[in-house]
Amino acid sequence: MSDVVSAALSRLSQVPGVRSALVVDAEAGVPVASEVGDGVSAEAVAALTASLFQRTERAAREAALGGLGMLQLETEDGYVVVAGGRPLLVVVIADRDAQLGLIRLETDRAVEALR
Amino acid sequence: MRRGDIARLIEVLREPMRVFVRESRAHIALLVNASGQVLAQHGFVGRYQVMNVAALAAAANASARVLADLTGAGRWQYLHHAGRSRQLFVAPFMTPSEELILVAIFDEHSTLGLVELFFKRFASEIRSLPEFAEALPPVNAAAFEGELEAGLDRIFAPQQSGKEI
Repeated sequence: MSDVVSAALSRLSQVPGVRSALVVDAEAGVPVASEVGDGVSAEAVAALTASLFQRTERAAREAALGGLGMLQLETEDGYVVVAGGRPLLVVVIADRDAQLGLIRLETDRAVEALR
Repeated sequence: MRRGDIARLIEVLREPMRVFVRESRAHIALLVNASGQVLAQHGFVGRYQVMNVAALAAAANASARVLADLTGAGRWQYLHHAGRSRQLFVAPFMTPSEELILVAIFDEHSTLGLVELFFKRFASEIRSLPEFAEALPPVNAAAFEGELEAGLDRIFAPQQSGKEI
């Protein structure tokens, strides 16, 4: 399992514009493995993205939209992409000029590999 | 800790505790010192519940510290128990004046990571408070008991809002 996680993170980190990539325990909100940039706390990102994903998933269900596959957050300086579910989430933090399509594709692949 | 300090401590801890509870989404939280003296609480309504949890937290801290020493594990970081519907988080932290212990109880609306994250911020804020900046003089058993009672009186005096555990 750890080889699969490492390989998934490594692929994600090699996508141009990706600053950080994490695999997170969705239930506990703690990092399982991470490759994060300077000044980024893997623990904080894991805790907050897991919470965000959990709450958005709840909102989607309440809105009768079914389960949540991927969450994409656009900020001033970049993107946060969260995908997966229980037990693991894949989190990617990318620059504003990163190729978002490629990031989403690789994030999906990482989620599949971790299933 | 001097008896006169309790009222001020409880006042200065009220806001950091409120922020911790809001951000971590814990529904019950308790701050005690290593002797089991209650400094802040959220969510308890019963005085005896607080006293029991405070005493157990102090005992758990003492046991975990000895266990960590015996096994060469160093200082323990936190204790986490995941029950079926509720989870318990107990974590000690040092301030210049004394060791404190935070107890938090949370459910499916929060996660261990979230509670730990905001515990670290809470501990950092408490450490920076002038009220915890200096080492405390030792107190005798009679004075300690008086302070324990005074702290509980103060904490439960203003309002009785909260959830029953």
